[in-house]
Amino acid sequence: MFAYVVRKLLNTIPTLLGVWIVIFVLFNVIGGDPTYIMLGKHATPELIADVRAEYGYDQPMLKQFFRYLGETVTFNWGDSRATRQPIATMIHDGLGPSLTLTVPAFLVTTVFSVLMGLLVAYFRGRWIDRIVVIGCVIGMSVPMLAFILFGQYFLAYKMGLFPIHGFDPAWPERFHHILLPALIWVVVSLGYNVRFYRTALVEEVGQDYIRTARAKGLGELPVFLKHVLKNGMVPILTNIVIEIPMLVLGSFLLESFFGIPGIGGITIAAINNSDFPVIRAMTTLVAMLFIAGNLATDILYTLVDPRVRLK
Amino acid sequence: MKHARLWVGFISLSLLFSAACTSKPKEELPNTLRLAQRGKVKGLDPIYADDTYAGEEVSRAYEGLLQFHYLKRPYVLIPALAEAMPEVSKDRLTFTFKIKKGVLFHDDASFKDTGGKGRELTAEDFVYSFKRLADPKLISTGWWLLDGKIAGLNEWRQDAQKKGVADYAAPVSGLKASDRYTLEIKLLSRAPSFLYSLAMPFTSVVAREAVESYGKDFLNHAVGTGPFRLMEFSSNSRLIWAKNPTYRQETYPSEGEQGDKEAGLLADAGQPLPRADRIEVQVYVEDQPMWLTFLSGKLDLSAIPKDNFQQAITPGKELSRDLSEQGVRLVKSPMLDVTHYTFNMSDPVVGKNKYLRQAMSLVYDSGPLIELFYNGRALAAQGPIPPGLSGHDPKFRNPYRQFNIGKAKELMVKAGYPGGQGLPPLTYITTAGSTERQMTEYAVRVFDTIGVKLQIEAFSWPEFQQAVRNRKGQIWSFAWNADYPDAENFLQLFYSKNASPGPNDSNYSNPEYDRLYEKSLGLPDGAERTAVYRQMVNLLVEDCPWIFGVHRIAFGLVQPWVKNYKRSDFHGASKYYRVEREK
Repeated sequence: MFAYVVRKLLNTIPTLLGVWIVIFVLFNVIGGDPTYIMLGKHATPELIADVRAEYGYDQPMLKQFFRYLGETVTFNWGDSRATRQPIATMIHDGLGPSLTLTVPAFLVTTVFSVLMGLLVAYFRGRWIDRIVVIGCVIGMSVPMLAFILFGQYFLAYKMGLFPIHGFDPAWPERFHHILLPALIWVVVSLGYNVRFYRTALVEEVGQDYIRTARAKGLGELPVFLKHVLKNGMVPILTNIVIEIPMLVLGSFLLESFFGIPGIGGITIAAINNSDFPVIRAMTTLVAMLFIAGNLATDILYTLVDPRVRLK
Repeated sequence: MKHARLWVGFISLSLLFSAACTSKPKEELPNTLRLAQRGKVKGLDPIYADDTYAGEEVSRAYEGLLQFHYLKRPYVLIPALAEAMPEVSKDRLTFTFKIKKGVLFHDDASFKDTGGKGRELTAEDFVYSFKRLADPKLISTGWWLLDGKIAGLNEWRQDAQKKGVADYAAPVSGLKASDRYTLEIKLLSRAPSFLYSLAMPFTSVVAREAVESYGKDFLNHAVGTGPFRLMEFSSNSRLIWAKNPTYRQETYPSEGEQGDKEAGLLADAGQPLPRADRIEVQVYVEDQPMWLTFLSGKLDLSAIPKDNFQQAITPGKELSRDLSEQGVRLVKSPMLDVTHYTFNMSDPVVGKNKYLRQAMSLVYDSGPLIELFYNGRALAAQGPIPPGLSGHDPKFRNPYRQFNIGKAKELMVKAGYPGGQGLPPLTYITTAGSTERQMTEYAVRVFDTIGVKLQIEAFSWPEFQQAVRNRKGQIWSFAWNADYPDAENFLQLFYSKNASPGPNDSNYSNPEYDRLYEKSLGLPDGAERTAVYRQMVNLLVEDCPWIFGVHRIAFGLVQPWVKNYKRSDFHGASKYYRVEREK
């Protein structure tokens, strides 16, 4: 397994390099110049020259690229061009609020989705299955913004069940503020996840080994929990692990509407301002998390399916 | 065993959520202001306070030599940390300020010599703070205020550039602390508007110990002499301020403009500042949550989002009955700004054809624009100077801003493009927001009536800025908000030496205009300067480098428990507000 992990990690180098080249070209060759954002409305040629010299924008593109590459591989994120805040501090400060929202919402979504998937797979073709599938389609079709506007207006403002907006960094007050956005996250995510898990599990229900298990007199609960769920875990696990890196990125819409100072808002602001160092940090972070996630998935496959061997 | 773990997980989650549901918000002090910021506050270092959000927050903790009178209009400069207005030399080049004695910086761990107690402010602190604004390594966005104005400061900056590090011990001939409480500033040339600079957040005084102690993290701290102390700062989310217990003895003003007394704005006259005990600032980047929070009574002041305008305001532009019955007050006040379409005067097509620009100006009707995009909350602009500033003439009617399609078509003939024939589509650059898209569609329709076609190029904000500064595009829309209450701040937008990448983004160049502008700089506020300003405006009207749009009118809502609220175009008003809830 060790050799596999090392080989897999080495394979990620060209992927990361590709990501960095694309980002560099997008924001240095095509994108807007952050100098004007930094200097505001009273920029002068002298000030522009100062900024370019200070940040090395006046150097040849290739030299800029290698400097950027050096800073990236040494995790020297530097400062945001738009806010002048150290990027490491920005990520550190944004990570907590983002994860406060996404981790509980993700856990609840995952548990409910798998349970609902099992339930509808069990009742496949019956009215309960149809109702859930229709509910899933509606959930997938309605945009998150509609849920946010509805939730904020009716559940928070009219009924007073949740705070309308805001985030308190103290514990456990912060959970009080993330209840409604987390609920919206769960509702929006359930549609896709339940349908996906249902499909994965229904496929297993039709397999010969399930018929064999039933034929030898095993009850439905052990059949579903021991056989259907375990064998359906490979696609489920893949889906779950793919979602984990996205938890770090938070949710821009939810963070914007509920005033949660998370990573989502930081990333979008950086894109809007052509704040290249922040974008570089975020993309590198997410790319690395994806790679780690994929590696973890491969390893987990061996645990849920003994036929899988890492070579 | 596996099931047991699952149940433990479930129970933990349920407990967590029930704890969250039952946790109550903390008790707040009765005299707490709850305010909104419409954008993220990027930091609290005064030398970077270049947007309205940072400027407002910085002014809660920091102060400069001067400030604007809270109630008087037109705006009047009064002393802040200066003991009095400066003594001015006969040649009007040297300003001598006496600094107030006994003013203390906020208590902070960076004051090691005093065991964390804030030390006394001295004139040297201003010398240090002004040099910081000029330090090339720090790339302050406020350097333009002092650039080329104070004797020796540009040389000090150049020296720092050469050496790669600024020498704060090196003297600057025009910036001197002649004793502990006396500051002398010597200008290179007469500049009456210089004093306004000293009321802006950029020139606020900072403590060297705090700057050096916090280093790069200084922008997340606030160690000033101002009325509030920073308790919590999350730039994306919220700021908490508490009354500064060591604040200098400053009192609420005892005089204002006509109508202030009747409006109850003088009820606190002579009372010590700040009037509020605590300020909680929440950042709202979206309209709906801010509006709902205001309606639920948990926000004390609010603007009216465009989508909620009809809910809040009647067709007669008065407050709706629902809000009136709740005691909410509507405050209307014209803003010191101007919106405009800019012609790129360095472009060979629009820049060289006055008649084309005049025709387009004539056909751009402000009436529908004001109703469609401002809900009626704007005045048609006749020139660059907004109402409330000397130089603005309320009776003046710009002949090229009175909608007249017939005359516009005649001018198109004079321009050499009858009915638009022979005129290639003009490149119109814009940002990609939804309002901008709607305004662009409006412009396309309007200019099409005289045969002028627009070719739209939409950009992100940084790309748009880059295109404007690099003189790309032939026409675009922009707005200018006053940095200080002087018409000069608007008229400098047409001075040829300020051309792109400077603030004169139309790249307008007229030697006669430049001559008059330079002449006006040496004149004090008065009839002579106003007459020069009128001549300058006349040149702009005729040359038409801009299509003047509107001067916006701010509509603000105030909860009944907020006392002393009067809208100000400048920062630092929150020290006057007070909250008095009914028991």
